[in-house]
Formats: sequence, structure tokens, C-alpha cells
Amino acid sequence: MNQPLIDLQHISKSFDGAMVLDDLCLTVKENSFVTLLGPSGCGKTTTLRIIGGFESPDQGKVIFDGQDITHLPANKRPLNTVFQKYALFTHMTIAENIAFGLKIKNKSKSYIQDKIKYALKLVNLEGYENRSVDSLSGGQQQRIAIARAIVNEPRLLLLDEPLGALDLKLRQDMQYELIRLKNELGITFIYVTHDQEEALTMSDTIVVMNQGYIQQMGTPESIYNEPENAFVADFIGDSNIVPGIMIRDELVEIFGTRFACVDKGFGNNTPVDVVIRPEDIDLVEPGQGTLSGVVTHLIFKGVHYEMEVTTPDGFEWLVHSTDLFPVGKKVDIHVDPFDIQIMNKPASEDEEAIGVNE
Amino acid sequence: MKRKIESLRKILADFYLVLILIFLYAPILTMMVLSFNTSKSRTQWGGFTLSWYQQMLSDPDILAALSNTLLIAFVSALAACILGTAAAIAINSMKPVSRTIIMGITNIPMLNADIVTGISLMLAFIAFGISLGFKTILIAHITFNIPYVILSVMPKLKQTDKSTYEAALDLGASPLYAFFKVVFPDILPGILSGFLLAFTMSLDDFIITHFTRGAGINTLSTLIYSQVRRGIQPSMYALSSVIFLTVLVLLLIANYRPKEKKPVPGSAPSNGSLGGTGKDPSRLPRQIQKWAMGAAAVFIAASVTWVTWKNYSVSHTEELYVYNWGDYIDDEVVAMFEEETGIKVTYDMFETNEEMYPVIEAGAVTYDVVCPSDYMIQKMIENDMLAEINFENVPNISQINPEYMEMSRSFDPENRYSVPYCWGTVGILYNTKRLEELGVEPPKSWMDLWDPALKGEILMQDSVRDAFMVALKGLGYSMNTIDEKELQQAKDLLIQQKPLVQAYVIDQVRDKMIGGEAAVGVIYSGEMLYIQEEVKNLGLDYSLEYVVPEEGTNLWLDSWVIPKNAQNKENAEKWINFLCRPDIALRNFEYITYSTPNQGAFDLLDPEIQENKAVFPDLDSLENSEVYRYLGDEEEGVYNALWKEVKSR
Amino acid sequence: MSKKLLAGPYLIWMIGFTIIPLALVVYYGLTDRTGAFTLENILAIATAEHAKALWLSLGLSLAATVICLLLAYPLAMILRSRGQGAAGFMVFIFILPMWMNFLLRTLAWQTLLEKSGVINGILSALHLPTQNLINTGGAIILGMVYNFLPFMVLPIYNVLSKIDDNTINAARDLGANSFQTFWYVLLPLSVPGIISGITMVFVPALTTFVISNLLGGSKILLIGNVIEQEFTKGSNWNLGSGLSLVMMVFILISMALLAKYDKNGEGNTF
Repeated sequence: MNQPLIDLQHISKSFDGAMVLDDLCLTVKENSFVTLLGPSGCGKTTTLRIIGGFESPDQGKVIFDGQDITHLPANKRPLNTVFQKYALFTHMTIAENIAFGLKIKNKSKSYIQDKIKYALKLVNLEGYENRSVDSLSGGQQQRIAIARAIVNEPRLLLLDEPLGALDLKLRQDMQYELIRLKNELGITFIYVTHDQEEALTMSDTIVVMNQGYIQQMGTPESIYNEPENAFVADFIGDSNIVPGIMIRDELVEIFGTRFACVDKGFGNNTPVDVVIRPEDIDLVEPGQGTLSGVVTHLIFKGVHYEMEVTTPDGFEWLVHSTDLFPVGKKVDIHVDPFDIQIMNKPASEDEEAIGVNE
Repeated sequence: MKRKIESLRKILADFYLVLILIFLYAPILTMMVLSFNTSKSRTQWGGFTLSWYQQMLSDPDILAALSNTLLIAFVSALAACILGTAAAIAINSMKPVSRTIIMGITNIPMLNADIVTGISLMLAFIAFGISLGFKTILIAHITFNIPYVILSVMPKLKQTDKSTYEAALDLGASPLYAFFKVVFPDILPGILSGFLLAFTMSLDDFIITHFTRGAGINTLSTLIYSQVRRGIQPSMYALSSVIFLTVLVLLLIANYRPKEKKPVPGSAPSNGSLGGTGKDPSRLPRQIQKWAMGAAAVFIAASVTWVTWKNYSVSHTEELYVYNWGDYIDDEVVAMFEEETGIKVTYDMFETNEEMYPVIEAGAVTYDVVCPSDYMIQKMIENDMLAEINFENVPNISQINPEYMEMSRSFDPENRYSVPYCWGTVGILYNTKRLEELGVEPPKSWMDLWDPALKGEILMQDSVRDAFMVALKGLGYSMNTIDEKELQQAKDLLIQQKPLVQAYVIDQVRDKMIGGEAAVGVIYSGEMLYIQEEVKNLGLDYSLEYVVPEEGTNLWLDSWVIPKNAQNKENAEKWINFLCRPDIALRNFEYITYSTPNQGAFDLLDPEIQENKAVFPDLDSLENSEVYRYLGDEEEGVYNALWKEVKSR
Repeated sequence: MSKKLLAGPYLIWMIGFTIIPLALVVYYGLTDRTGAFTLENILAIATAEHAKALWLSLGLSLAATVICLLLAYPLAMILRSRGQGAAGFMVFIFILPMWMNFLLRTLAWQTLLEKSGVINGILSALHLPTQNLINTGGAIILGMVYNFLPFMVLPIYNVLSKIDDNTINAARDLGANSFQTFWYVLLPLSVPGIISGITMVFVPALTTFVISNLLGGSKILLIGNVIEQEFTKGSNWNLGSGLSLVMMVFILISMALLAKYDKNGEGNTF
């Protein structure tokens, strides 16, 4: 029991000498919703294509439910993919699209009919059987692509930026729909996106990738609240990343001012990076905080105000607050110790890319 | 394992590509090799030479055809671009119904057979009274080029964002300014690839040009076609090789790309478009590309202008339109005539009498002096198409041996319409060695051409009268017979012979026989001097002999005549007189090697040639021979129908 | 200024130089020398020699079209798999021979195929029996395939290159093997290109007279030869026009049949 459904072992892949994945290891448990998140070119799509069987790794193994499928062609793998631009067969009707995989497997006619009905119901497109692909909107096409994949009852569904081409409102609707589907079907999802908000909303586990390496892997909360390096911190949500010096355990100095924090084990007088989320900064009247500055920018964002506070050292702090401080007002900055996240400074750019492997 | 299969697949794919490339380029390579061949023959290698390249640069026919071809391609592509782009913009803004109709019309020239486009335009030009010439070719080319431009521009227009044009108007641009600054750059790649396509299509067209061209106008295609039967001048290969290599180099420059990283598969957009006008930063810097393309365009434009200027810079008030058989005059003679008289000669060629006749009859082109054969002259006289020659203007007529004037009487009873130019017989040319190998005796009778041992070794003449002459004479009938039974017999005989025949050709007999392609061929006697010389030059291990079969043959005579509708009759008479001058006739004889009726020229010849019975047979030995007579339209129709029956078997 | 007016010159041009000329062909085809109405020129197709020429043309051009298709499809697939850069260059390689004159290219095949030609030279150097290649139906088909192959490759390649890689991946993903992927997805999606290619090859092949002259040794009379000869040698324009009309009807029928498969008209050559 509890054997991982997918186990990627030391996968490396390069295209024409450019390393895309380097010794990547990743396990995915059955019934989880894992998101591969990262900027374009980080290797997330390649990872997905290796699992799907559209690329073969230069090195390493792909283990599916204890079975080595590294050299199994795509059509023999017990998993299905939803492609970025849906990749529907435009020369077929909706029903024919959905039936494609089942026909290949020589399922009976009545079985196929039932499955089409069921799948269309599942994606809320009942009665669309005989429509042509071109007559559907993007969101509808997306749902058909999902229906086409899930009728095959795969144990694992790979989704390659499936919502990338949709507009904001539709994207949000589809996010809920996908979560619902996952819960109803009990299928494992591996989801690729570069949209951090999407990742935070939908996944149980997020894998942040950059330049072919896994930067951090964890629950959405831990990724957001405890980024392990500047890349993750920067990529997930807005953040203030400032250089600091770890004076000793639980005390860090930023721009000459000392802040209490909760981190330990960095040694004494070590240069570090400090991450503070904009919503974790409290603006208070002068004299009541740790660091003083002047409000230099103000934008109303609906839920909150977004402000920039410039401190005498010239750093512009991004602050989210429901309280309004007009431009030009002198304020003090206050941060609670548990809202300060300390990270090791990378010694070189390469190390920055490698980050911390779990 | 998977990777092994993958690499095997790639090897197979590469192998297939190479095979296809060989298929595509083998003929081109062949032609390039031939352009260095000393011998004119396409099958014999006579040694390496560059002379064809020199000749190409000094041959006015080739240069004129080249400049016509480029000029027509350029102007027609340009005109098509202007008309087509305007039309595309209009079509794009139309309602679906009218758009469908217009696109339907646009597709007509694309989908219509070239031959139908060609003949329909020819019929229209003649119906509208537009005389065939440069402008009719140009109109025809523009017509079939426009659709290529429209079909290239339309997709680009569809991609163009309408709002950018509106944005330009919003910012105060006039519609015209907005178009040129905003829309035009967007659709420019479409226009350019349309231009390139149109240019290529125009360059490569033969069929439509064939039907719409007129006097003295040749494009490379039609010039080549007119040379096909007589044997292509290797300078043509040279020219084509030069054109091909130029284009190849240009394309290599345009497509050169330094080593680059391939995009990651799957993330690469694949929207292959012809011509690869896409923006690809990894190509040669655009500046250099532009410069190279610009240089090429300037080069083409400059050479076209230069040749055109060279051709038309000398202004001629006096003109003469000559219509003659292909390769039937020494080019020098034309030049000498022009120089001596100051008359500008427009020279045009035909392949058969039957082809010449409708051209004169239609009058779409008015020629001043034509050189048909005996029976055709009779037909033209009977149909009142010829003007009487004023012999006061042709004093050199005295140089013509009276025997030939007498011979002329069979078709021109009072010697009023024609002046003999060349004469000869039709006989059998045979390859002595080949016949020995086949165990066949040298032919003596026409009926020897029905020997089953000669299967696939016979070359027959591809013209009605000559083919029937062979059969009729073989049967012992007159070759001018109109007796239906005799003709049926002759037809059956020809059908019987067809499985033995390798090919029906006209002037190609000469080159094919030299090349050793066949054992026997029906040929005109005039080719003999050239053939014997060429066999000697090439050092071939066989000899080719000529025989006039004992049943007699066609005694033919080609003479100069002046059509009734000639515009420059006096110049035509000057022309005829000039050609009758012994020194000129001698020059011509030395070039074309067909027997001359000019006594003055004959007297100047080497005794050895005078004695050559293949070239100058004794007229007495030809007593069974006849001269073709015109048999009337109806009988001609019968002959044609019978011949078609033979050919379609 | 209405944009639609821009179509004016084009329309006038097309009416003058396409519609009216075609109408003239119809007029000539339906009249005799005196200008009186007759169906004789049309019915002339039924005579033995014309019918034979037509069937021969249909047979040879059909064979050439099928061979072109069989050669071009794998080729287009390979070009597609080579990515844009390599394939773009390859496409140029196919256009390039067109700058070498059509007649010369065909003539060069004569040199290759002749009894003492290059191919037989190679054969005899290998001590293989020489073949009778020239002046046969096969030689004519070869000439057609050689000259019109690019017109088959380009439209098929164009359609294939527009098919998203992921569409093929999707089929594989859903369990289809290579053949099933080709048969159920790739082939149906490339139908417009195939249709366009077939038209672009079949029509010129059916109507050619040059190729049959040069490579058939004038022994094989095609419908194109008959029409050409009526216009240039036989000087019976009415008969020539009548036969052209019949030929056009055949082309129209075949295109109407093909159009059924190309619903969207997506298959453009260029």
C-alpha cells in the first residue's frame, strides 16, 4: 500500500545539447492533484511529456504503479493527456472525438454510447454529440478534451496548461469544475501551469520548477508561507525580498535595523535573504514600528490598497493593507516575527537554479 | 530499443528524400553535363567545351528570347500583383455571396487546363482583331498570374487585424496613407510570395505562350520548342544552367542560416508557409538578405533593359517579316541583309507546312515572305493567298538552274508566285553496323520498312503526307492519289507498321540516328552532309548511309513566296533577290546543307560535294519520283482523318 | 472611396480575358465552319480515334496522379517531421527545378531514357539487359509524375504542417498505434490537401500534349495532342473547340466528385 502511482527516477533530458531536465526525481501518490509550476522553459511540460510518452528521457526511469514504463509507447500507457490547445480532431463530431479511444480499444457500441452520454453529462455539455468541433467555444472545447480523456478511465490524467487559452472568468469556473471532476472520478491529476494562482487554488501538492530543477515541493500553504529560496518567493505571489544578516538564531538585521524572527540554524552573522509578504507588513504611526519610511505610491485594488513605502536606504517596500495611508505620509513598518522568512543566499547563479531539493 | 527504431526510421526517411532528390535533379544534372558537350548530339559525348556558353552570349535569338521571357515574367507578375492585390482587398470587404462568385471566377484560370486557356485566349485575340505578338503573350500571362497573387494575398488579409487600419484612421491618417503604412506591410509577404509564384509560373509556361505568341516573338519556352524537332542548340542548355545556378545561389543566400539550436519539439509552432517569409531572427541578417535580393533584382532589370535596348536601339523605318522553317538559314545571312539594305528583319519559324498555313490564313500576323513547300504553295495559290512576284526586282532569278524552275511548274504552272530555295529527296537513312547485327540487308525498297526484324528500330516521319508517301510508294501507287481504296490500303499498311516503329519524329531523325538510337529512319536528303560530317567528327564506329528507294520518292522543293496581305512587298522581293545571289546561296548551303537550286552557288562548290549523290542526286535517277500536289481541302481532310486513325491505334 | 471598387479593373480583366474567351470556345465548339449550329464537333468524341485518345489520356493521367500521391504523401510526412526550417528549404528544393525550363527538363528525360541513354548505359555497365524505356506509356507517365509532383507535394505538405503535433499525440495518447493514428487522424485531416493535389496534377496531366510528344515519340496520341493539332495543323478550330468542351466536361465532373470531400475548401496549394 501507499506505493506511489508515478515515480520519476533521476530523469535527464536535453534537446540539442541544452539541458532541460537534470536528474529530476519526483513521486506522485495515487489520488492526488499535483501541479507542476514554473516559468516557461523550466522543464514542466517536458516532464509531463515524458510521463505521457511523447518524449523519452536521456537517462532515468518512469515507474507507473511499480512498473517500468520508460520505453512503453504513448498508446500503450494507462494514462491520458489533456493538451494545451485541446488537440481535438476537427474532422470528427463531438461524439466521435469522445469515442475515439474506446473504438480503438474495440469497446461495444452500446458501451461507447453510454460512455459518451456519461462523459458529456459530466462536463455539462449534454446534447452536443453531433456538433462539430469548430462550433464550440474555447471553454466547451476544453471540456470535450477532458471528456475525451476521461472516458478511457485512466488512473492518471495529465493536463498541460489546459486553461491557458481561456479568459479569466471562464478560467475560474473551469478551475472549480476540474476540482469537482477530480473528486467525483477519483483520478490522479498531474497539472502543468505557469499561473501560480491556479496552482494555489487547485492542487494538493505544488512542485515549483525552474531551469530543469525542482525548487520546492509541498502543499500550497507551505509553498506560499515558507518559500525556500528567492525564486520560489518571487514566483509565488508578491513579496519583498531584501538582503539581511542573520545576527544569531531568531534575530535578523535588515538595513541596520534588527527584527525578531523564528528561524534558527543559519549560524551567526551570516548574510541571508529575507522574504516578507506585502500583506504581512503592518503600517503604523511613526514611532510605533521598527523601520520608518514615507508612502510614495498608492493604488486602490478593491479588496485592499497597494502601497509603496520608501525607507531611507532607498528600498521600496510593497505593502497590502485595508487601511489607507495617503502618499507623502510618514509611517513605520512593523512585521511579526513569524511573518519573516529567512533563506540562504545562493553563492552563484547555478546554485540559485538548483535551489534546495527535497 | 525505441531509439533504435527511431534512428532506423530517420535513415529510411533520409534515403527516401535522397531518392526523390535524384529523381528531381537527374534531368537537370544531365542538362548541365550536356552544356559542356562538344557534340550537338544528346547521346554522344564529344569532349568538353565552353563554347556553348560563348555562343549563348552572342546568339541574338537566345538573348532576345531571354529578355522577352524575363520581361514578360517581370511585367506580368508586377501587373498581376497590382490588379490582384487591389482585387483581394475588395473581395475581402465583400459579402459572402459576391465573394464566393468572384473567387469562383478567380479559380477558373487556376483549374482550367492550360491548353483551353491558351486556345480560348487565341480565339479571343483573333476575334477582337488584336494581332498576336508581345502584348498578347503579356495579357495571357497576366491573366493566369492574377489568381496566384489573389490566393497568396487573401490569407494575409484575413490575418490582418482590421482595428490597426481603423487605429491609423483614428490617428488622422488618410485611407491611402493608412493602407500603405499599416495594411500594406502586413500583407507584403503575401504579395511578395504571390509575385515570386507568378514570376515562376510565367517563366515556366509554354502551352499558353505557344497559342498566344505572334511573329518574331519567342520566349525561351517557344524557342526551345521550335528547336526540339531540329535538335536543341546546346547553348540552350548553357543558358538554362546559368539561370538555374543563379536562382540556386540566390535561394541559398536567402535561406542561409547559421547553426542554431532547434526549438524544443512540441513548443515549436509549425505553420509552414511557402517561401519561408516568416520572421526568423536566426537567418542571415535581413540587411544582407535584402541587399542580395535587391542586387539580383537590379541585375535582372539591368540585363533585360540592356538586351531590349540593344535590340531596339537602332531605329528601322523599313521592316520585313520572314516566316521560314526552323534552322533553315545562316543567321549571318540575315545580319548581312540587314546591314546591306537597312531593313529590320523580324524572323520567325515554323515546323510543318500544316502549321504555317493557318497562321497565314488567319492573318493575325502578317508576314512578308514565307518559305513553304511545293504542294502548300499550290494550295495557297488556289486559295488566292499569294501575291505575284515582280521579277524586275529579282534579277538574280537568272542564277536559278532552269531545271528547277521547270520543276516548280508542277505547283506554280506559270512561275509567277515562287522562287526555289532548297530542294531534295526523302529517303531511308540506315546504320550499317546495326543492320549487320540484326542480320538485315541494307534497304532498297520502302517495303523494307515493314521487316519484322526491325521492330523498334524504325524512325518514321511525323507528318501526314510523308508518312502516306512511304506507304503509297511502297504499294506502287502515286503519292498524290485520291483513290479511296488505295488510301485505305496505305492506312492499313501504316497501322501494320506501327508496332515496328520506335517513334514518329520530324527533324529529330538526324540526332537520333547519329546517336545510334535506331537502325533506319526516313529522312530528308539535306541532312546528309551534316550527318556524315558529324559521324566523322565523333569518331563513331558505325556509318550512316542514305538511299532513295527504287519505287521513287517525294521530290520536294521549298520556295519563297509573298502572301497577298504582305505589308512590305518590295522588301520581300529584295530579300528573295538577296538570297539568290550566288555567294549568299553558297553561305546558306554551307550552313543548312540542303541541295541548292542555285547554279551560281553550285559552281562555287568543291567538286567532291558536287559529286555527292546523296546531296545532289541525278534528276534522271528520280524518274519514279513525284512532287507533292495540293489535293483540295476535302482530300486533305481525308488524309488527316486516316492519319489520325493510324496515330491513335 | 469604396473598397469594393478596387475589384473593378480585375473584374473587367477577367471578363475580357477569361469569360469571353471561354464563351468563344463554346461558340466555336457548337458551330461549324459556316457559323451554323451543330453538335458534330461534340459528338466527334465518339469516333474511334478520339475516344481512344480520351480514354488513353484518362488512364495515363490517372496513373500519374496515383503515383504522384503515393510518392508525395510520405514525402510530405517526412518534410513535416523535419520542422519548419529544414522543411522550408526542402520545399524550395521542389520549386527550384521550375526555373529550369519545363521543355528542357522533359527533354533531359529523353536523354536519360533513350536506348543509348544514361539509364541504359548504367544498366549495360552493370551487365544488366537494357530496357526499352522511351516512347512508351510508362515514359509518358514518368514525364507527368516528374513535372507535376511538386503540385502534389506542396498542398499536402501545407495541410500536414498545419496539423498540431498534439493532435497526433492525442491520438497516440488515446491508444491509437502508428497506423491507426495515420488512418483515423492524419489522413482524414489532410484530405483537403490531397484533393487540391489531385486536381493540380490530374488536370494538366489529362490535357498535356508536350509530354506525350517528347517522351511518347508521337506514337501515343492523347486528347491534348488531338486538340493541339486541330488548332495548329489540322486547322479545324471548330472541332478543336468541340473536343476541348468535352474535355472540360470531364474535368468538371471529376472536380465535382472531388469537391464532395473538400467541404471547407481548405486545401490551397500555396
